[in-house]
Amino acid sequence: MAVLNGLVPARFLTIVAHLVLIIVLFWSRGDNVQACLPKYYTNTEYERKDTQLIIGLSVSLGLFLLELIGFIGGLSMFLPTQGFISTFSHASAAVSLAYFIQDSWECDTFWYIFSFCSCLPAIVEIIIFMGVCCCNR
Amino acid sequence: MADRMRNAVTSVTNVVFPPSKSATDPQQQHLMKSGLDYVSSLPLQMALYFNVFYYPLWLITCIVGLQAKYEALSVLYKIIIIAILVVMTVVEIIRLSLGYIGNLTEKVPELAGFWLLTLLLQTPLSLFLLLNEDTVILPLERAVHIILVIFVIFEVFMGYFAIRALVNHQVTKFHLQQFTNLEEISSEEYIQLQGGYRHEHRA
Repeated sequence: MAVLNGLVPARFLTIVAHLVLIIVLFWSRGDNVQACLPKYYTNTEYERKDTQLIIGLSVSLGLFLLELIGFIGGLSMFLPTQGFISTFSHASAAVSLAYFIQDSWECDTFWYIFSFCSCLPAIVEIIIFMGVCCCNR
Repeated sequence: MADRMRNAVTSVTNVVFPPSKSATDPQQQHLMKSGLDYVSSLPLQMALYFNVFYYPLWLITCIVGLQAKYEALSVLYKIIIIAILVVMTVVEIIRLSLGYIGNLTEKVPELAGFWLLTLLLQTPLSLFLLLNEDTVILPLERAVHIILVIFVIFEVFMGYFAIRALVNHQVTKFHLQQFTNLEEISSEEYIQLQGGYRHEHRA
């Protein structure tokens, strides 16, 4: 439990940091979308890329909700494995998203960040849900 | 005049924190158990715990954001935002410590102070920071204020239920205490009391 005493707030703070950056991206995604289009682009191309990015951000928010339900609801709060996976992936997501916004990376690189850092904790969370509900662990 | 004030305050208290019907019914006193051994509210405690960790993050973000947009603000909003930040910093520390002490040691005055500070100060101030577009809200500030508002509103609701449960529990304990005090008089004291009574009666 002594290990967990530091892990729970660390996990919470990294989740919050990642969440904050995702919300920031909702408002300041213009530069990123422009970075992945050629120099002269049409409006439809811009709209297409913009919509893709919005969809990615929204799915990311949904996965956050899933993980927060598991964390705050107590299902996975005191499991060290999920704690470490979650802390590590959200911390790396927060750092990468900070660079993403600051250096105006291409919007396609968002999908890499999304898959490693949003999907992974959510999938582990779903596995834990199954374990708790079906096998009563 | 003082009586009327007291009646008014009592009626307001009874409206805001109504005692549950079973707590005031004298018939049910001896039937009712005092319930759980503890009445601290878990959701409130969790919210306070995470709020304590979130507070430095919010503060640093606000100060950095203010420094970045200071030039773009009008004079009025410069003064307003600095005043709000100072007030919120101090109030948040007091509020969180009161909430911790009140919830963990089940003391009603601290918890009530926490609830009032949250409802009357933090809610309007944080909503002001989030919703007033004249303060040149940066996207980063929008995000951190959204999370702070979620925390504050959750604590307002949870705090209300926690105080109600705590007050009902203490009312019940007080009423039960009156009965157990009578039972605890030892037999010797009882005979002494009886003997003294007979002495006075003969004399």
